[in-house]
Amino acid sequence: MKQEEHAVIGRSVPKIDGRVKVTGEALYAGDLRFPNMLFGKILTSPYAHARILSIDTSEAKKLPGVKAVITHKNVPRKKYGISPARYDENIFCIDKVRFVGDEVAAVAAIDEETVYKALELIKVEYEVLPAVFDPVEALVPGAPLVQEEYPGNINTEIHHSFGNVEKALSRAFHVRKDTFIGHRTTHAMLEPHVSIALWAGDRLTLHTSTQKPHYIQYYVARMFDMPMGNVRVVKPFLGGGFGGKEAAMGLDFAGAVLARMTGRPVKMFYDRQEMFLYNRGRHRQIMELTTGVDRDGKILGVHANFIMDGGAYTANGIATAYYSGALLTLAYDFRNYKFDMIRVYTNLPACGAQRGHGTPHPRYALESQLDRIARDMNIDPAELRLRNARKPNAMTPNDLQVNSCELKACIETAQKASGWKEKKGRLPRGRGIGMAASGYISGAGYPIYRTNLPHSSALIKVNDDGSAATLYTGAADIGQGSDTVLCQMAAEAMGFRYENMSVVSADTERTPHDFGAYSSRQTLMSGTAVKRAGEMIKKQILETAGQMMEVDPAELECRDAMVFLKRDPTVGQPFAKVAREHFVRKGLLVGHGSYSPPKLGGRFKGAAVGTSPAYSFATQVIELEVDEETGEITLKRAWDVHDSGTVINPALAEGQVHGGLYMGIGEAIWEEVRFDEKGRILNPNLAEYRLPTTLDVPMFDSLIVKSSDPAGPWGVKEIGEGSSVPTEGCVSNAILDATGVLIDSLPFTYEKVWRALEKKRIVESSMKSCE
Amino acid sequence: MLAGGTDLLPNMKNDLTAPTALVSLKKIQTLQGMTYVPGKGVVIGARVTQNGLVRSSLLNQKYLSVSETAHAMANYQIRNRGTIGGNLVSAIPSADLPPILIALRASVTLEGSHQARTVPLEKFFTGPRCSVIARDEILTEIAIPDQATTGSAYIKFGLRRSGALAVVGVAVSLIAEGMHVEEARIVLGAVAPTPIRAREAERLLTGKTVTEAILEEVGRAAASECKPISDIRGSEEYRREMVGVFTKRALRKALNLTTSDGSRKTG
Amino acid sequence: MEQVRDNKESVKRYAIELTVNGDAHTVVVKANTLLVNVLRDGLGLTGTKKACEVGDCGSCTVLLDGEPVDSCLVLAVEADGHEILTVEGVAQNSQLDAVQQAFIDKAATQCGFCTPGMVLSAKALLSRNPQPTEQDVREALAGNLCRCTGYVNIVRAVLAAATKQASEKGV
Repeated sequence: MKQEEHAVIGRSVPKIDGRVKVTGEALYAGDLRFPNMLFGKILTSPYAHARILSIDTSEAKKLPGVKAVITHKNVPRKKYGISPARYDENIFCIDKVRFVGDEVAAVAAIDEETVYKALELIKVEYEVLPAVFDPVEALVPGAPLVQEEYPGNINTEIHHSFGNVEKALSRAFHVRKDTFIGHRTTHAMLEPHVSIALWAGDRLTLHTSTQKPHYIQYYVARMFDMPMGNVRVVKPFLGGGFGGKEAAMGLDFAGAVLARMTGRPVKMFYDRQEMFLYNRGRHRQIMELTTGVDRDGKILGVHANFIMDGGAYTANGIATAYYSGALLTLAYDFRNYKFDMIRVYTNLPACGAQRGHGTPHPRYALESQLDRIARDMNIDPAELRLRNARKPNAMTPNDLQVNSCELKACIETAQKASGWKEKKGRLPRGRGIGMAASGYISGAGYPIYRTNLPHSSALIKVNDDGSAATLYTGAADIGQGSDTVLCQMAAEAMGFRYENMSVVSADTERTPHDFGAYSSRQTLMSGTAVKRAGEMIKKQILETAGQMMEVDPAELECRDAMVFLKRDPTVGQPFAKVAREHFVRKGLLVGHGSYSPPKLGGRFKGAAVGTSPAYSFATQVIELEVDEETGEITLKRAWDVHDSGTVINPALAEGQVHGGLYMGIGEAIWEEVRFDEKGRILNPNLAEYRLPTTLDVPMFDSLIVKSSDPAGPWGVKEIGEGSSVPTEGCVSNAILDATGVLIDSLPFTYEKVWRALEKKRIVESSMKSCE
Repeated sequence: MLAGGTDLLPNMKNDLTAPTALVSLKKIQTLQGMTYVPGKGVVIGARVTQNGLVRSSLLNQKYLSVSETAHAMANYQIRNRGTIGGNLVSAIPSADLPPILIALRASVTLEGSHQARTVPLEKFFTGPRCSVIARDEILTEIAIPDQATTGSAYIKFGLRRSGALAVVGVAVSLIAEGMHVEEARIVLGAVAPTPIRAREAERLLTGKTVTEAILEEVGRAAASECKPISDIRGSEEYRREMVGVFTKRALRKALNLTTSDGSRKTG
Repeated sequence: MEQVRDNKESVKRYAIELTVNGDAHTVVVKANTLLVNVLRDGLGLTGTKKACEVGDCGSCTVLLDGEPVDSCLVLAVEADGHEILTVEGVAQNSQLDAVQQAFIDKAATQCGFCTPGMVLSAKALLSRNPQPTEQDVREALAGNLCRCTGYVNIVRAVLAAATKQASEKGV
């Protein structure tokens, strides 16, 4: 069926939760109230590295209004994390703290003010230890050891080699080796973490701001040796995640223990400073990149030699380390690839997954290097990309199977939309235009822990009188609109109407299993489960209608809540009537479906990371102006052209692109988490961690090229993360075009740009004086 | 003393100050309002908010540069609460109102248990977060005297276009006939413990007919006179260089050589 | 505002009167009680959000006598005798305000956490400037941070609401 023929998908229907969000009715975790509820907070370490000598909670316990105070003595000592290969965290530090912000104790009290006061009364005696804040320094023998089980502070080490990179580079016409530095940024979602724990007998319920209820259920059950069926995790409305709300946290575990001890619901929460401390954001990466090309600029081989600053714990960082290298092979066609990576422990807040999961910084490096190669060889950067662009139905050197790929169309459309050919090389002084391309996964091919569970499942229940239907999905709407899009897909598959759908999502007790929102998986994976559930409903509808109309169900179709004869659409029955009849004659009208991706990937260590049933592709172009006297950057326009397969809701897809560009631009120019010499964050607030305001960013243009992938329901692929992946590289290339200066590190602060321009001015004026 | 609370409350929340009691100035009616008093000038009550300064037709008429300065501060919500008196008493080195008010020769009235006194704003600040105000005094009003300025301007250089502290702030007030400058006042903010007059720069400008070369010289002089620090927003070297750049830009603006967004007018 | 009898902790409490969304409330607060907490916890109006609590993000924006302020920076006692509009008070008798409807129509909400503050800032803008330019809108909303939308659809929504309101007035 051509996309134009779809009844529901492909339409920009209004969000199913739009109304409750504009009226303030939508309840986020921090808005929930339970009878007899207590408030809880966690005490954090003021030192980057210190032995815990003693903890005295007696004064805190005496404060009126304090109901419980806990330390490592009151909680299981089991280590946890995200990846079973790297469980390296305790709920509370036992022998030592490893970063400023590490978690040491927790309090439950009757109100917020009492909790804050109680935290100040907990007396911890520390023996301060030498700390290390730089990954290169941490690798030096004799450096302070962050985690005892990881000698040399090596958290993850990867050495992949495909084809023969040395040979390729030796044959190359031109080789460039550059070192780029990607910086430490953080999600800075507006809603701080909140977790509310309550017990009913042996059953624990967590209302928690999470992207992945299933995994939280899994980790919590594991920690407390409970059957998963006794742990219920509910995601309320969520105020942004971007990868920062994907882990079971101290808030969840401590809350559960405090709630058990006090017999009362406990609401645990972070304030904004604590959000910065908890972090789990983007890794700082030192990226040495060597690329060799032939005379036409065709890439022959790439060697990526990276070091990542992982902070004090792994979080999701082992996957991040693999992703950093795995997806570099997606966008351009080359056979020889070497990837060396060391993820290093330091005494800084832990880093994990952040929109694009490890790939934006490497993308910045490769895209910047390609523009430098283009400059060296006098080839237009867009042309260079066209020559190297991935084609469909290809296998990357690291065994990633690409099916649909419209990258060439993305580049060409981006050229046209931005006026590339008219502008490149012809803009007034200080103004520049830059391009970058990338690809991204539509869901990770393998789950985070080893399991053969399907990745998604869905249930649809049609109301008794057939006038409404409810979709039950474990998929998590974190703002991207999955509730809306999945309802569209349910309605499409059923032949029903979106307007009569309602949704229950992300509640492990009420909704069927789904791994949740990460790796841009839900439209494709949850969507497939939903489509199957809808098709099951439609099948039953057509059967019952066939009986009612005394025709073969094969002669019937159902669309827009009407069942009709294919050969004469004026003859039919309303869906509602058929549904009701079905309920009367045969029982409940329900449909269900589940989805597992096919077996993907190669056989080498870490091959699973980077696999996906389908890959999106994108090209971005940014036009900006640099004030040459100050280094100030003014963004003029930005375009994103995406191959995201079939688009279910164009307005929501555009919204993801807007947000991806915004985040990429913010990280490229303004955002950076900075530390003092003692490992304390200098800017743990939303003033000095500079998010762009309405006055800092222009309107964005979002375009979609025609595409469809066989792996996705109706051909869908992702867009939410892919739209932030090329952006840092795009800004980098626009600045290069505007100024002619090479800047090797992020972010492009005004001062950094100014320094590069100053250096250029000094060189130029000294060259002049030599003439 | 609680006026708008936009500086005090964040400081309390971040444990930078812990007052045991707050005294609200809300009910003192004489702290509100803005009038022109012949012989005294434009008199602004200490509790006039920054948005009040933006909207004041009196200020827009007589000293547009002050309204424009207020408009460059923080954001709309903060400007609805933050007051001119609070901004001055906070004595933050990067505050925006002090430089332009000093350029316009403003003075402040301090009232307390002793006799009321008037202090030229130029002499009010003594260091970061320090001023001559005594513990038992309230800043009640600010007066901008009648003066023969032909143009004044303040340019704030921040790291984003809203909600940013000044990395460098330059205020100028000139008496000029065409390009010929008879008198100049140049005040630098955010680049010393207090706002400072760039007297050497002023001297180089006085009595001169402005050319690009003169502006360049004046800018360099101003840059050499400031005492910036390196902090999270910028290095000392960068700030110093930016003083040069923005002194030139502020002068161009006050000489009516630029449009309001700082870009050069053609012709 | 009346000071209420000291309790045994000798912390002064005050009975204040607030008009919130048209309803009169008497609330007993301490000197350091913030307006945002009175609204959220005292009155159960959780539409106003806490994201930074120091006036950097605008998520706690309410209208105080018609003007947008960060309620995390207003002591409850300062609001005594004043009128407050929160996002819950914007729709009238189930009828969404033009700004709210435009946010829905233009897909201007993603996670929705900034939305209440945005709606109120926008509403106040249109009251004082019924025909804003894009630049006017951006300036009015510069104190409201959003992490999801890049502001694109939000700006479009406010401009659309302005156009709709103007056409309804027959302008």
